[in-house]
Amino acid sequence: MAEQMPIVIRSLNEGFGQTLRLFFVTLAGALPLGLVISFGSMSRFKPLKWLTRMFVGIIRGTPLMIQQLLFFYFPGLVLKQNIWGSGEAGRFAAASIAFIINYACYFSEIYRGGIQGIPVGQEEAGLVLGMTPGQIFFRVKLMQMIKRIVPPISNEIITLVKDTSLARIISLQEIIWAGQAFMKGSQGISGAIWPLFFTGVYYLVWNGVLSWLLGRLEKKLDYFR
Amino acid sequence: MKKMLVMLLALVMAFSMLTASAETASDKQYVIDKGTLVVGITDFAPMDYKDAEGNWIGFDADVAKAFAAELGVKVEFVEIDWDNKILELDAKAVDCIWNGMTLTDAVKAAMETSNAYMNNAQVVVVPAAKADQYQTVESLAELVFAVEAGSAGEAEVTALNLATNPVLAQADALMEVAAGTSDAAVIDALMAAAMVGEGTNYADLTYTIGLNSEEYGVGFRKGSDLAAELNAFLVKLYADGELQKIAETYKVQAALIEQE
Repeated sequence: MAEQMPIVIRSLNEGFGQTLRLFFVTLAGALPLGLVISFGSMSRFKPLKWLTRMFVGIIRGTPLMIQQLLFFYFPGLVLKQNIWGSGEAGRFAAASIAFIINYACYFSEIYRGGIQGIPVGQEEAGLVLGMTPGQIFFRVKLMQMIKRIVPPISNEIITLVKDTSLARIISLQEIIWAGQAFMKGSQGISGAIWPLFFTGVYYLVWNGVLSWLLGRLEKKLDYFR
Repeated sequence: MKKMLVMLLALVMAFSMLTASAETASDKQYVIDKGTLVVGITDFAPMDYKDAEGNWIGFDADVAKAFAAELGVKVEFVEIDWDNKILELDAKAVDCIWNGMTLTDAVKAAMETSNAYMNNAQVVVVPAAKADQYQTVESLAELVFAVEAGSAGEAEVTALNLATNPVLAQADALMEVAAGTSDAAVIDALMAAAMVGEGTNYADLTYTIGLNSEEYGVGFRKGSDLAAELNAFLVKLYADGELQKIAETYKVQAALIEQE
């Protein structure tokens, strides 16, 4: 085991790198996209509101696993053109898009709850004071909304860390794939289950760090009541 | 908000135009233009597996590298789910399946396959302690077999009407037997020779009877001109003695099929 350790650790690090990349790309895409979708689902323009809510319903109502399979294989199989590019990078691109869209839909509902949860009196007060709707949103509502949504968003973020493992359905080499490879046999190591325990440790540590950071953020926002 | 709707419609239109572009006629030209031959594999010693540095080696990997060099393109190995191999090819996610693939009727119908280059058999892997009990096909009736989903081994076991546990890779099937979660596995003889028995990580497993004999080939997209290209290349490698040399490196020379 001692001589296998460096091989396993390097392999797990590589897999965890892929996991982290997917995690950060998803957050970077889904947090803003979720806001756009939440505006769509609160729009006064009925067709847009209806369309957005249907879209969110479909994405939330179907497994992320199916979405990834469809996103990755549909263009090449049905449209006869693989839009994702070849190799590992293509798989990562497809997984990222699927994750971003999926998580943006969840985030959009959380945002909507946060925005709609702010008493309408504040908006009225702002209007009376002569503020524009944009000013009201950015100067009055936004920080209160952020405070309210931090706990549910934290939940989703922790779930996202673990959900990245779903990308293995399109053979993205994330950390569980890397850990399981040593059970199946890879680089001269097979039938070994201990790398999977290490895999679990990576998740635990990363989720621990995130929980701590998000907890601090929540404390910082205590000012906004 | 109308602007948003217009933008949405524009996006949809852009997407549909993107997908309307024509297919290239020659698969060889497609790969050369792309500059990379993407090879779909699984971790499968001795055909495609990782060395201690994490590079892909093995009989198939080495020949694939040589073939890509002949085409003047880079080679990229991508691990896939074996059950999805036809899907991966058709979706152009990979350009060939080169991983000790048994030339079954189903494979030949769905892919453009090369000539057979190696002999193989599907063998039964059981714990060494119980090997004596399972030396005939009749003795297997009560066992549950771990098999790779979509593999030739699965087809053989199903044809015998025996119970199966389909798993993601042949190596998973071995692990199932080692863990006792399946009674036996059916995998490729070449792999069994490399991975079970004394001196391997599965020292207390062994293989008994063969269920069939079969041959390996490389699969390309249906209608691809790369299959004929590879056939000619294999003949050249064999005539030069290069193919035999690669086979000896991975100790599979006995199973190599003459190319002419």
